[in-house]
Amino acid sequence: MVKEIFMPKLSSTMEVGTLLQWFKNEGDAVAVGEPLFEIMTDKINIEVESYEEGILLKKYFEEDDEVPINHVVGYIGEAGEQVPDSPPGESGAAKEEEDVSDSRQPQLEDLVQQGITDTTSERTANEPAETEATAEKLRATPAARRAAREENVRLAEVPGSGPKGRIHQGDVMAFTSSHTALKATPLAKKVAEAEGVDLKEVSGTGSQGKIYRADVEGVKQIASSPVEAGGKRVKLEGIRKVVAQRTLQSKTTAPHVTLTTEVDMTEAINLRKQLLGPIEQQTGFRVSYTEIILKAAAYSLKMHPHINVALEGNHIIYHEEINLGLAVAADNGLLVPVVKNADQKGLAALTAECKRLGKAARENKVKPEEMSGGTFTVSNLGMYAIDAFTPVINQPESAILGVGRINEKPVGVNGAIELRPMMVLSLSFDHRVIDGAPAAAFLTELKEALEQPFKLLA
Amino acid sequence: MRELTYLEAVKEAMSQEMRQNEDVFILGEDIGVYGGAFGVTRGMIEEFGPERIRNTPISEAAISGTAVGAALTGMRPILELQFSDFITIAMDNMVNQAAKIRYMYGGKGKVPMVLRTPSGSGTGAAAQHSQSLEAWMAHVPGLKVVQPSTAYDAKGLLKAAIDDDNPVIFYEHKLCYKTKSDVPEEQYSIPLGKADVKRQGTDVTIVATAIMVHKSLEAAAELEKEGIHVEVIDPRTLVPLDTETIIQSVKKTSRLIVVHEAVKRGGFGGEIASTIAESEAFDYLDAPIKRLGGKAVPIPYNPELEKAAIPTVDDIVAAVKETLNRL
Repeated sequence: MVKEIFMPKLSSTMEVGTLLQWFKNEGDAVAVGEPLFEIMTDKINIEVESYEEGILLKKYFEEDDEVPINHVVGYIGEAGEQVPDSPPGESGAAKEEEDVSDSRQPQLEDLVQQGITDTTSERTANEPAETEATAEKLRATPAARRAAREENVRLAEVPGSGPKGRIHQGDVMAFTSSHTALKATPLAKKVAEAEGVDLKEVSGTGSQGKIYRADVEGVKQIASSPVEAGGKRVKLEGIRKVVAQRTLQSKTTAPHVTLTTEVDMTEAINLRKQLLGPIEQQTGFRVSYTEIILKAAAYSLKMHPHINVALEGNHIIYHEEINLGLAVAADNGLLVPVVKNADQKGLAALTAECKRLGKAARENKVKPEEMSGGTFTVSNLGMYAIDAFTPVINQPESAILGVGRINEKPVGVNGAIELRPMMVLSLSFDHRVIDGAPAAAFLTELKEALEQPFKLLA
Repeated sequence: MRELTYLEAVKEAMSQEMRQNEDVFILGEDIGVYGGAFGVTRGMIEEFGPERIRNTPISEAAISGTAVGAALTGMRPILELQFSDFITIAMDNMVNQAAKIRYMYGGKGKVPMVLRTPSGSGTGAAAQHSQSLEAWMAHVPGLKVVQPSTAYDAKGLLKAAIDDDNPVIFYEHKLCYKTKSDVPEEQYSIPLGKADVKRQGTDVTIVATAIMVHKSLEAAAELEKEGIHVEVIDPRTLVPLDTETIIQSVKKTSRLIVVHEAVKRGGFGGEIASTIAESEAFDYLDAPIKRLGGKAVPIPYNPELEKAAIPTVDDIVAAVKETLNRL
């Protein structure tokens, strides 16, 4: 017997809910009380819990989809049970047996109970406290209703001045004048609030200039890219979305500090020249500076285990392995495949692995296990005319190395000015777990390893 | 213009009509030399003689039956009942004969008669002589029901009632008899079914009848001091009812209070409130409609209780404030 999961109606004014995220995938086992998905209503964000036990058989909606209340979002049942391929629409439309609707009833009420604190807190102070806002039908005089119709005002938002919160025509007029006739859907208001968009600057596309969410988001995009207003619009999804979330998460949780140093690459260049032939013979690949820098980084991390750490809750984890992430630009975003135990691999092995992973990443064929377990990341922009940059830490790691181009510069050597191939290394680290001095010591170690690469043999 | 009392205006309306229309005559108990229970016809028997000012036996059934018969033969009788409470005795003639005949005979016969009768409390006449039963008559198709509140209205409406080819119940409130207003000397007619706005206002509409018109105007004057502008409408005739004037007023003020002395339960106020609720004024209502009417008790003999049994000026003031959320 499959059980419906449907979009709950959490307030008297709710018409649609936006699916923010699923917590379960199709095929996952679900227990009673486990959160299934998170939704945003016109008033609150709330996690919708399962009131059934079984397997999540079907999800009909993606994240960010708007789902009308009582519409079926998915089904829970036993493995192998049949469910419709397309969304069946409103709950109960397919007319399941009676016990289904019975079991649904408490669910709805419980959810309303959860929502009740939020909805009441949004009601105005004029509303008598004893009134059960959600339970009672809205009180408004015919004149107030007519005024609300004409002014396109949602009566639920108007504070009533009459007995038991009754809304009079004057209340509607006062509301419209105080809100300068701004007409927007609850979702649009919510999004505008969340994104810091002033609704007054949004021109609505609905009837009588009513503002919808898309209008708000349109303004938001124009504001963030003033030059390219009117350009094509691409939905944030897939890798792009993950990158967006993770970089924001990293930047907002980890206090980033970036140290830079210039490295004289003369010896590293010599090393590469000498190894190019043998490694190509051995692996078929040409060793690049990336592999040399990876090797040096792995060596330095071994000498400075304080950098090879992660913060988990209240504990700092000192990784025993040195797994180096390698930032690779793929077509649709940034991928970071991981070279496991990089400290234990020679340059030939590193070259072979890096080439293979880079290719896989660019072709979107990198496996999930090849992208997990990193303890430190190297991001190389040296193929571009970039001298230095401030990389964003790839959490849960605590540090990342940014590599600039190798560029001949005049440097002082023993009292004389010489042209040397110089390269800037930028180390961003999470100051919550790594202090400046050990980070500086690590970067110095790395610089010396690259300037005197025979150290790597040690 | 000269002032007349309500009582004098009623008498003048009848006298002027009788002078020029020989078909009009009056019948009732003690209306001759005694001049009727409240003295309305006093002096008329001297002018018009006992043929046209006819004393009758103490039988409302006989009076009303005689009037219906006379009307059917072409006369235009005015009958007076001493107290409107006694209309119960005349009821069969009025409801089953007077109201029906013109319809049942396809217009071949008509019943042009006026039943005048004093109604209401306030004179210490107790339960059997103080009632306001106009809603009963208003319920019956074929009867017109008039309730003038001023001398001017009484004279003009009585002329129209006499001229009407249908039976008209003409209620004269006892406490209105002594009220005065400017009344033209010449004959004039106020069409039945035309309400009068007794006071213009913008905040709330009071629809009041008979003596309650005066109490409502008193309340309105009091409320004006607090900046509340009350509109007072006197429908003057319950049947036909001038719904348009009331609807337009309620659309303007968005609030309605109906006041009558008759018992609230089943009273005509319910008809007016319903009419507004059904009308286009509904969308303009900004407060629940309020009805003020007599308590559901026989009118007490005790003068204090008698006053308390019907709406007072204070009751009307309070109702207005409640309707405006100003309590």
